[in-house]
Amino acid sequence: MSNDATTAIPTLPFAEAAGAAPEPETPLRGLGASLPQADARAKAEGTFPYASDLWAEGLLWAAVLRSPHAHARIVSVDTSAAEAMPGVRAVITAGDVPGTATYGRQVADRPVFADGLVRHHGEAIAAVAADHPDTARLATAAILVEYELLEPVTDPEKAFAAEPLHPDGNLIRHIPLRFGDPDATGEVVVEGLYRIGRQDPAPIGAEAGLAVPRPDGGVELYTASTDPHTDRDLAAACFGLAPDQVKIVVTGVPGATGDREDPGFQIPLGLLALRTGCPVKLTATREESFLGHAHRHPTLLRYRHHADAEGRLVKVEAQILLDAGAYADSSSESLAAAVAFACGPYVVPHAFVEGWAVRTNNPPSGHVRGEGAMQVCAAYEAQMDKLAGRLGVDPAELRMRNVLSTGDLLPTGQTVTCPAPVAELLAAVRDFPLPALPKDTPEEDWLLPGGPEGAGEPGAVRRGVGYALGMVHMLGAEGTDEVSTATVRVLDGVATVICSAVDTGSGFSTLARQIVQETLGVEEVHVAPVDTDQPPAGAATHGRHTWVSGGAVERAARMVRTQLLQPLAHKFGMSTELLQISDGKITSYDGVLSTTVAEEMNGKELWATAQCRPHPTEPLDESGQGDAFVGLAFCAIRAVVDVDIELGSVRVVEMAVAQDVGRILNPAQLAVRIEAGVTQGVGAALTENLRTARGLVRHPDLTGYALPTSLDAPDIRIVKLVEERDVVAPFGAKAASAVPVVTSPAAVAAAVRAATGRPVNRLPIRPQSAVATTA
Amino acid sequence: MTLPASLDEAVAALTAMPAAVPVAGGTDLMAAVNRGQLRPAGLVGLGRINEIRGWQYQDGHALLGAGLTHARMGRPDFAALIPALAAASRAAGPPQIRNAGTLGGNVVTAAPTGDSLPVLAALEADLVVVGPLGTREIPVSHLLAGRDLLAAGELVAFVRVPLLHAPQVFLKATGRTGPARATASVAVVLDPARRGVRCAVGAVAPMPLRPLEAERWIASLVDWDNDRGLAPEALTAFGEYVAAACVPDPPGDEQLPPAVLHLRRTVATLARRALGRALS
Repeated sequence: MSNDATTAIPTLPFAEAAGAAPEPETPLRGLGASLPQADARAKAEGTFPYASDLWAEGLLWAAVLRSPHAHARIVSVDTSAAEAMPGVRAVITAGDVPGTATYGRQVADRPVFADGLVRHHGEAIAAVAADHPDTARLATAAILVEYELLEPVTDPEKAFAAEPLHPDGNLIRHIPLRFGDPDATGEVVVEGLYRIGRQDPAPIGAEAGLAVPRPDGGVELYTASTDPHTDRDLAAACFGLAPDQVKIVVTGVPGATGDREDPGFQIPLGLLALRTGCPVKLTATREESFLGHAHRHPTLLRYRHHADAEGRLVKVEAQILLDAGAYADSSSESLAAAVAFACGPYVVPHAFVEGWAVRTNNPPSGHVRGEGAMQVCAAYEAQMDKLAGRLGVDPAELRMRNVLSTGDLLPTGQTVTCPAPVAELLAAVRDFPLPALPKDTPEEDWLLPGGPEGAGEPGAVRRGVGYALGMVHMLGAEGTDEVSTATVRVLDGVATVICSAVDTGSGFSTLARQIVQETLGVEEVHVAPVDTDQPPAGAATHGRHTWVSGGAVERAARMVRTQLLQPLAHKFGMSTELLQISDGKITSYDGVLSTTVAEEMNGKELWATAQCRPHPTEPLDESGQGDAFVGLAFCAIRAVVDVDIELGSVRVVEMAVAQDVGRILNPAQLAVRIEAGVTQGVGAALTENLRTARGLVRHPDLTGYALPTSLDAPDIRIVKLVEERDVVAPFGAKAASAVPVVTSPAAVAAAVRAATGRPVNRLPIRPQSAVATTA
Repeated sequence: MTLPASLDEAVAALTAMPAAVPVAGGTDLMAAVNRGQLRPAGLVGLGRINEIRGWQYQDGHALLGAGLTHARMGRPDFAALIPALAAASRAAGPPQIRNAGTLGGNVVTAAPTGDSLPVLAALEADLVVVGPLGTREIPVSHLLAGRDLLAAGELVAFVRVPLLHAPQVFLKATGRTGPARATASVAVVLDPARRGVRCAVGAVAPMPLRPLEAERWIASLVDWDNDRGLAPEALTAFGEYVAAACVPDPPGDEQLPPAVLHLRRTVATLARRALGRALS
């Protein structure tokens, strides 16, 4: 059942060697083909209509008034001046929400508009609809809000003892994981304190949406929601409408590495449309985007690793504190991932991990790719480096002595049943040749830290190599009902997939086309646009759609196939299983009998709908134990960095990635997803941190928030993709995007550690943490 | 929005409508407009004034048009004239910004991180300002320090820069490898005719700083008539001298916070490297 990648699809999709020799018989369609995205050309040319390009007759423009304070009591809100402005059609505040006043994905703790109390910088206070965007913005400025400033709670460690910021209290969740013997000790003990910064999803397209009121009193929202059905239900409750009176139509998603266009954005928009009876459009400014959406949880981690003299782990003790910001959002889920993966993909006989998610007045935290797992990876890998240093063992070798494999236990007591080729991944990156030093190239061609023609000086540059192993879970965890529904229709040789799985850039719609091509042998497959009149497919997070929605599409396609082949099988007197579809032809197993698909279809229209529901999970119990996860994905990365040790500037030279992907469904798309994940991880490692001062976001713009540019993105070498099919996953494929995000920052930190000899216990790595003496 | 074709017309347009704002590349102005921080009553576009889009020679100086773009100044022919200004222009941002942003705009915006500013300060450049009352010249540092402000209807037309025919270096430290704002920058220019070394440090203060004592001290060590090289210890001492002058110790026994200490170390390193490259 093990199917090594080296024998199947090329493991180096974009290796230079591939340029010389043509790739061996790459299929043009179906699974395993590098089918391009259907809308790639329109997106590249700028003709693809995103929500911000939409327009409707009689359109009004919305603007949202946001709090300039992190923590304040609202004494009064006077909207009369704004309402009196010519062109202003509606001004709404907390009192104008007809339905439930609060919402939330897991706990309904977040008000639509701040009601009496502001809990974070940028919290919405009022919204305006006007006939011109400038009028709307000026009207928000004319709303008089009297604040009584309160001391913000910005240090999560102080949140425990601070006055409750919310009626629900400041502790959102506490998981005390206990696994094994608390008295176990190792011969070698290393400790560390680690801090992870606040990464922003920083989507290329800021949030935008259009709300159109319906004659039946309902409303339609055109926006880039990534979880349309949940958003619809939350929005409908706040509108005081039944869910079927609200429809969310998903437009193109301009970049999503977390949740997009959350209800906090959609609800004011819908309320304004309902209030005015006119279509209303809202496009967020870059500043609003930074203030409004959820960020990665800033995290404080304390670790103590015990090992024996051989470097085998005995016990891990950890404390993990997530700064959830003012509202719960999905922090409970992030905490579960952080606690469960606190030891990483290593065998640990005894583990004691305490995790907390607490409320503060800092910007809101929520789901960003690899949430929870990324923060702990940076810490446990730093501990592994420390242990290697203490024992005088090579860091890769120390990791190799501890790697997890199938059949081992996670600290949650769950047995790893899926393929876990961690040792193979680590060996692949370790054995891959190191990039050459640029000593043979002319000095002016060197790309030193600091950039071309920059301040870098070869004599002060040190090269470092570091390793990291990471893991993530796929699909919702802890008892989430994971289900997706898909419909496949075939008419005149053209198939259509109807599934409300949002393609966030993950490539799901391309995969859906490939799945149908593979199953039905149809060349032309379209994926219908998503709206909430279709059955739900769930959130586009945790690589769900490849698995759950892909599984549903495959089942529906198989049902159509059976409908198509049944009469023929009857005619031929054989089971449908003995008929094959390929290149538009239906052939019997022995090749004797054959006909064309077109002839067999004969104008018939075939429909089938199917669901996929992976096996259920259970919540972690009061000691952090339970089978909480459906599937796991693993990755090993070797980072090579150049550090100018006088200036502390870092350039990542190369990231060698080996990843456990289950099965390659689309080689080009897979490589792109891994490259994107590594680049996002490099950003988290070096530059991406949304800084705050006393709860106020300091630079909510793309100048202050430095994303990696093309010069910062390293050479990414995909050295091995291990294809060991996960038997419980449809097609055996694992989601590929999140695990490189989780692993890359830890690998970069390990490499900077190796180059400078500094501890590097904070992400992003500040220049002052990467300077070393030249001696 | 008016689009005058000459400096005289531009001055006339600004005089006629004092609330109007002159705009050249718009890389700073339009960002402020988009952010809602600025809503100019009118704009006077300077993009069609050909006389300020090039440069000319004038008794040992170059008279640089304020409308010169960073992209133009980054080219090799310009780099042969004023190497440090060319280097600063090439570092001034991504190609889109460099294609639009201008020398005059960089001076008038006077952002602490403006990359051309330390170079102009080190070169002791003068600004040629045209206005309704005629033309006047002011040192660039006077404008940046707020000692001499532009009056209503006045425009920076040219920047007069001495041609020193000697090595010049501009170095900047940023947070990433790709284009970014400077956390600190240093310009070092040699003036062999006057046997001087001039240095300016950008981004650490609201305007470029000149460590004059450090300049005089290091200039006295250089052997101007022969090989100008200095011992590494002298370069290091120069760097530390510059850094101590530009990132001073707080009064009393207070310690500098770690981030400021790192800034000082960065300035010292940049100044040492810049001088080393200029003298090598």
